[in-house]
Amino acid sequence: MSFFGFGAGPEIELILDGEDTRNKVEVKNEDGKIEACPLYFDGETISGQVKTTLRKGSKYEHTGIKVELVGVIEVYYDRGNPDNFLTLHKELARPGDLLQNQLFKFEFPNVEKPYETYTGTNVKLRYFIRVSISKRLSLIVKEKQILVHTLAQYPDVNNSIKMEVGIEDCLHIEFEYNRSKYHLKDVIVGKIYFLLVRIKVKTMELAIIKRETTGTGPNTVNENETIAKFEIMDGAPVRGESIPIRVFLAGYTLTPTFKDVNKKFSVRYYLNLVLVDEEERRYFKQQVEQTLKICLINLYMCA
Amino acid sequence: MPTTPQLGSPPDEQDKLLDEALGIVKMQAFQMKRCLDKGRLMDGLKHASTLLGELRTSMLSPKSYYELYMAVTDELRHLEIYLVDEFQKGRQVSDLYEMVQYAGSIVPRLYLLITVGLVYIKTKPSLSRDVLKDMVEMCRGVQHPLRGLFLRNYLLQCTRNILPDVADTEGSLESEESSTGGTVQDSIDFVLMNFAEMNKLWVRMQHQGHSRDRERREKERQDLRILVGTNLVRLSQLECIDLEKYIKTVLPSILEQVVSCRDAIAQEYLMECIIQVFPDEFHLSTLHSFLRACAELQPNVNVKNIIIALIDRLAAFTQRTKDEGGIISTDLQLFDIFSDQVALIIMSKPDIPSEDIVALQVSLINLANKCYPDKVHYVDKVLGKTTEIFNKFNLERIGQITPVGKELMKLLKIPVDNYDNVLTLLKLENYGNLLDFLDYDGRKALAMYLINNALENETQIGNPEQVDFMLGLISSLIQDQADQPTETPDPEDFAEEQSLLGRFLHLLVSEDPDEQYLILNTARRHLGAGGNRRIPFTLPPVVFAAYQLAFRYYSVKDQDDKWEKKCQKIFQFCHGTISALTKAELAELPLRLFLQGALAISRIPFENQETVAYEFMSQAFSLYEDEISDSKAQLAAITLIVATLEQIGCFGEENHDPLRTNCALAASKLLKKPDQSRAVGTCSHLFWSGKSVASGGEQIKDEKRVLDCLKKGLKIAANQCMDSMVQVQLFVELLNHYLYFKKKGNQLIEATLVNELVEKIKEELPNLENNEESQQISKHFTNTIDHVKSVASIEEHYKDIAV
Repeated sequence: MSFFGFGAGPEIELILDGEDTRNKVEVKNEDGKIEACPLYFDGETISGQVKTTLRKGSKYEHTGIKVELVGVIEVYYDRGNPDNFLTLHKELARPGDLLQNQLFKFEFPNVEKPYETYTGTNVKLRYFIRVSISKRLSLIVKEKQILVHTLAQYPDVNNSIKMEVGIEDCLHIEFEYNRSKYHLKDVIVGKIYFLLVRIKVKTMELAIIKRETTGTGPNTVNENETIAKFEIMDGAPVRGESIPIRVFLAGYTLTPTFKDVNKKFSVRYYLNLVLVDEEERRYFKQQVEQTLKICLINLYMCA
Repeated sequence: MPTTPQLGSPPDEQDKLLDEALGIVKMQAFQMKRCLDKGRLMDGLKHASTLLGELRTSMLSPKSYYELYMAVTDELRHLEIYLVDEFQKGRQVSDLYEMVQYAGSIVPRLYLLITVGLVYIKTKPSLSRDVLKDMVEMCRGVQHPLRGLFLRNYLLQCTRNILPDVADTEGSLESEESSTGGTVQDSIDFVLMNFAEMNKLWVRMQHQGHSRDRERREKERQDLRILVGTNLVRLSQLECIDLEKYIKTVLPSILEQVVSCRDAIAQEYLMECIIQVFPDEFHLSTLHSFLRACAELQPNVNVKNIIIALIDRLAAFTQRTKDEGGIISTDLQLFDIFSDQVALIIMSKPDIPSEDIVALQVSLINLANKCYPDKVHYVDKVLGKTTEIFNKFNLERIGQITPVGKELMKLLKIPVDNYDNVLTLLKLENYGNLLDFLDYDGRKALAMYLINNALENETQIGNPEQVDFMLGLISSLIQDQADQPTETPDPEDFAEEQSLLGRFLHLLVSEDPDEQYLILNTARRHLGAGGNRRIPFTLPPVVFAAYQLAFRYYSVKDQDDKWEKKCQKIFQFCHGTISALTKAELAELPLRLFLQGALAISRIPFENQETVAYEFMSQAFSLYEDEISDSKAQLAAITLIVATLEQIGCFGEENHDPLRTNCALAASKLLKKPDQSRAVGTCSHLFWSGKSVASGGEQIKDEKRVLDCLKKGLKIAANQCMDSMVQVQLFVELLNHYLYFKKKGNQLIEATLVNELVEKIKEELPNLENNEESQQISKHFTNTIDHVKSVASIEEHYKDIAV
């Protein structure tokens, strides 16, 4: 890699310790490419080595070599202002000449990684490690994305959710989910009681809706995405009928619930119950806010 | 509106839809199998899910849906076999049980769940209970009746061989229990739950769609009922359901569901289903609760059929048990229970049609007959109950062809058929009362039925009370009825019916002559009221029976010193009876009966014999003189009188003489000359083979008077008959008389006389016009001559006759 024609620079190789053995998670990049990234947790040390390889018989003069750990939130419509919420760096070499191939070890001990990696519709939170060799007018950079999952604690209080909804003289149902907080491989178990049915129900679905909120105040942008549509009933029940619900969350691509991540964005999940009648009219709570909010938490739990 | 179910789409449309669906199923099944062959289970499941998606349709009629269902489940079997294989190789089952639940559509999801669940249980039997519970619970998600019914049917089909069927041992440890994967109780819960849900779905079909389609819907429901009934079959196949369990858990739950669904079609079918699938022993022990449930069914349920089915089954069972030498617990008052419960049901259903009530009684009677053949009072109790009900409903004159009438006829015929002895009916106090509810035709038909039965079995009605009773029962045949139609019945039918009655009268027989006499009196009393149309049929048998009775007294005269008085009494009785016929303006019949009487009397030498016989003869004469005017009838009558008198030997000369003279006189006074000739000819025998006291019982053989008669006959024929054909005929007949007396040795019959007659006939014969009649006469003559020729050599009296 060379800029301004000042001769070819050295090649940089960035190897993380235990990269081969570490858990990897596939992430979809902005350009749609799928990349397998090593997975780190909050508080975990990130260490590795940087290998510089020179072209044969040449030397390379530089003004310093450093390695950085960056955590950044990028809002797509505001790319000019990335929010680097985490920047750690280490000097690997003072200004001087690279005369031969060299190996630099580095370590960021017990790094606090407050947020989880997230790729959404309008926002992206990512971590990467960047090695740069600087020269007066040029910079040789090598980046490597890492994936971060935050650790969650199993909630002490995890009440069931119960709610009665209806349209007067038309439909009254009561539903119940066993919990309000689920982990990502959890199973939603519930029941729906039909207290009054005067419409010809054809089918009933449970939709999982993900709402991503970016920006603040008047600039708030909400993005709703239906993650799952799950048919839980076929045909019309009569009064007194109770229908079981069981949804395995493992079947869907979900993230944990994020609340106000660095004041930049939030991701929340809602369960929406939709009844469809024989004329294809859909009955559900109009406002997403009023449908049931559930909290999704990471599967990994602290001891 | 593409979303509205088009169940009513025309048949070819149905075929098209079905073909399309089947096509997709076939294709997807092919791909599924290919994936499975290559070990790509997930892809295989995806195809399975797609093919199952076809079962989500709302467009097919139940019949087409069934075909589709069969095709789909057939393909699922491949998946099942593959999975069992896989799991035996060590694949994790629980994963898959979760994985198939990711499917977004509920119908394919649940079919897959069941398929995998089945494999799960097969590989890990210890999980049976939990998996079964889970599957039957999850199926609630399908509330669409048709799809739900088939889904649950699939569940039932799949689990048929893996339902835990071990008795729950009391006090067993939890661990032990779980190692077996559940007990029969779990299976019961499972099936009962499935049954309840299926029944709900089935009932719900009734209330969906337009009311104008009701008929079609009901038909479709009938087609689908077997799906619901299979649950009960499955229960009945669980061997560990013992009587106690059945009484405590199984039956109450089923009945609760049946009663509470408040749907006539379901109730009717399921109640019959219960009766059919569970063993008789169970029914015997649960009669009360079952019958009580019957009383709670919807008003339009045909409870009758249910009860009848049960009764018939139990009746057959008890009979079978008895035949095999078993004993039905005597403290089980089967009849009383049914009787009470049937009464309860009738009370609780005010609008139950009366024919159904009677039909219920019919089956009760059947029960009583089969289980308690010796307890006639049970039968009577049923009849009494029925009478009571009829009275309450103010029913009367029930038409034989109305539904009630038909049932009532059935009811009344059962005791007849069953006992094959009409006398048993005597013990049924209510039989007659009930019979009276029938209209005229009904009563008559039943009366004939009774009679036929008595005749077939040759049931003797042996005492006056029985006779009184029986004749009372069949009074519709004997006497005019207040409600009989005014027009005269078809003569042939009437004759047939009355002849039948006549035959029946011969069954009124007692071993004891005195009793027999009372019987005849009773019969006479009943029959005498029969009116002019009936008595010609009914009284003669009585008269003949009376004559026979007189003979019987005569035959036992040594043991009965009053026999002569009794005989006289009998003949008085006969006289009276025959006079009744006379009063009915009949002539020939009483005449014959009198003559028959005279004959009978002449054979029985009792004290007053001659006077009585004379009376009978003179009655016959006066009938002849006063009542018979038709010349043919006169000839027949006088012939009979003559013949009778010729047979009777009990008259003294002072009686015999006027009688025979009168005969000759009457003969010669006949209107037509040929008749005169013949009658006079016949009279000749009176003077030959007639007997009287004077002749000492020997033949009179008054040669001269015989000859006189014959001569007179000949004279009439020769001089007074104009028609030569008749003339010759008479000659031939007289020739025969001559030959007869000649042969018998009447010296006054000279050969010349005979020869002259033969010559005369020979002369006249060729002059006759040739026709059938003349040929007959000619043949008669030839035969006569041939006869004389053939015996001439051995018969000396004929030796002078020139032939």
